[in-house]
Amino acid sequence: MTAQRHLRLSIAVVGLFLAMGLWLEAMYGLRAEGWIDDSLRREFLRLGHSHGALLGLVNVALAWGIERLETPAAWAAKIRLAAWIGALLVGVGFVAGGLTHGPTDPGPPILMVPAGALMTLTATVAVALVRPTDGRPRAPQP
Amino acid sequence: MSRPRLAAIWLFGPALAFAAAALVGVGLTLADDDAWGPVERRRAAVVRSDTCARCHPEAHASWARTYHRTMTQEARGEAVLAPFAGEALDYLGFRATMDRGADGRPRLRIAATDAGEGAAPILDAEVVMTVGSHRYQQYLARIERGGEGEVWRLPVAWHVDEGRWIHLNGAFLEPEGTIGDADDYLRHLSRWNDNCVFCHNTAPRPGARADGSFATEVGELGIACEACHGPAGAHVERHANPMRRILAPGDRGAAPADASIADPSALSSARASEICGRCHGNRIARDLAKVLREGDGFLPGEPLAAVSRPIFADSAIGGVDGAPFAERFWPDGTPRLSAYEYQALLLSPCHQEGEGGGLGCGDCHAMHASEPAMQVRRDRPGDAACRGCHDVAAVPASHGGHSEDVGCADCHMPRITYGLVQGMISHRIAAPDPGALVGRDDQPDACTQCHVDRSRRWAAEAMAGLGLRGSPAGPAAEVEAWASRVLLDLYGGDPLQRVLAADALGRSAATAAPRERMAWLVGALEDEYPAVRFAAARALASVAEAAADAPVRAAIARFDFLGGADGRVEVVDALRGQLGPDPFAAQPERRQRLFDSQERQLLWIGE
Repeated sequence: MTAQRHLRLSIAVVGLFLAMGLWLEAMYGLRAEGWIDDSLRREFLRLGHSHGALLGLVNVALAWGIERLETPAAWAAKIRLAAWIGALLVGVGFVAGGLTHGPTDPGPPILMVPAGALMTLTATVAVALVRPTDGRPRAPQP
Repeated sequence: MSRPRLAAIWLFGPALAFAAAALVGVGLTLADDDAWGPVERRRAAVVRSDTCARCHPEAHASWARTYHRTMTQEARGEAVLAPFAGEALDYLGFRATMDRGADGRPRLRIAATDAGEGAAPILDAEVVMTVGSHRYQQYLARIERGGEGEVWRLPVAWHVDEGRWIHLNGAFLEPEGTIGDADDYLRHLSRWNDNCVFCHNTAPRPGARADGSFATEVGELGIACEACHGPAGAHVERHANPMRRILAPGDRGAAPADASIADPSALSSARASEICGRCHGNRIARDLAKVLREGDGFLPGEPLAAVSRPIFADSAIGGVDGAPFAERFWPDGTPRLSAYEYQALLLSPCHQEGEGGGLGCGDCHAMHASEPAMQVRRDRPGDAACRGCHDVAAVPASHGGHSEDVGCADCHMPRITYGLVQGMISHRIAAPDPGALVGRDDQPDACTQCHVDRSRRWAAEAMAGLGLRGSPAGPAAEVEAWASRVLLDLYGGDPLQRVLAADALGRSAATAAPRERMAWLVGALEDEYPAVRFAAARALASVAEAAADAPVRAAIARFDFLGGADGRVEVVDALRGQLGPDPFAAQPERRQRLFDSQERQLLWIGE
């Protein structure tokens, strides 16, 4: 994933989950059935909204960090992809889990959340640890 | 390893490993019969409500607000509603003193009022548990009167609304008893282990032994989750697997109910109502000895008839001639006591003729979405439950000729049931038919419970005038020309009719003028049955309050329905002076004839 595309898509994720906030507020205002009367669904849609927006911002920060820290290209493209997919999986996993929940727990889509979280976490750690020199060929040993 | 591959493994490896593990977990859970198949619920352990709260916090919180939760509690802290600060209740020649020991435990001491200092009490007990918290609270103590392990219900209770102690002889429909007779005084000192324990606790096991002792156990004090959902041990075990919880179907309408627990909302209305009927419908056990050893054997979701049969008017029991329960029912079979609501439902056309199993308890009541008092469904207030089938177009609110203040239940569920020292609505939903009762004095009708100044014949004719179906009025009895139906019941009915008549006169919907009703009620303050005196005093106070009649309020405040006859007569005389003479003062022969009718209709209805 290119740097420019990552930044655009990250901002798009932020926009998507912020827009979701408007939807949730509208459902409150309209006292929508299946929302007002369903606390488990409310909780997980809120979690999706907040995590999606927050991890979108984390992606924006990672995009800036990758440029600033001169993360080598071999890592950078994959970090961008992992971080962006991770953010999307966490947000969508919470939302879809809440929409399909059972009597006491979210539905099967919630399993996307740990996978997405792991990708976001490894991407963040990679930005912190990978050095500019890690992408260069090693000098021959004397 | 090349750097691009290392990057891919680092960035995507953990997530892919989790995804693979999750897929395996989902697959194994879907293929696991133990996760989805039938479960032997009968042998499951009772886990108690705290465990349920871990997964069902909202259901637990809504249940925790109910009087079901507080049905039986350990006698500690806020569970004890009475002060136990040294109050005394004098009744029937004995004084009950309620105080606390050095450790703060509530105590009860009962001694003859004429016994000198140091005389041995007839009862001296430390309260260990409380029963009830809504209308009145009863108290339990460990007393060995015949066998080890016995717990006994004490003969005095705290009336919550009245904020006073009452003797239980005044709560049941029984003659008062003889002054100074300890047996009469202790009539309601009843053993908890093989009585109250059943319907006031969850998963009770009386543990009766052959030697007369008891090893009583309960799954949880009070009516907790597992009283209605059954023992949840297998359910908890099954759902310890998070994959099972995640894969649980959310739309219960599209999937079979989880077999590890009973969900009343997923049962037919008839089967779900049996869960309520277990306690709200007195029953006869199929194997009483086993019940006394191991509990009633009922498993919510299974047929109640497998372990017991409901008591009806004509129910017989071995070794007893005739119909021993007949006096608990009106002549047409309608229950006239509380805790027979299930039988009343079974007798209702709405249950018998309704679609999809007919009307059930859950059509009007909810255990988790309701106010604690009465637990009527929040989404079906007022007439909404009836309107689900009887829409406004077919049955307009005006069909009874009343204003909109009169709801469906006022006429179709009249207050002709006695329980907990008050009149209650009947759960036999039926059309009023006063014409069928003209000439009879053995059963109240719906109309004259509000039209307290009218006769039954008037009610039958009014119904006919409105074009409503009803039996034609037969010939009236001579006494029916003397006074309204309710007044005749108050002065000449059986004790239960007298309580209901007093209650009817005290309600704001009653049609007669307040002073007229108060004058009528004064006569019932002299009743032989303390429960009737209590109902009459409460009704009089209520009418006086609504009418802002300060002198009557002051006089009735001095009336103690359990107090000595002299004190009661003094208040009655004062009230007669304020409200006028007995309604039959000019016809003493009529008064005597009604009194004789009372005398012929003794009732003896305890638990």
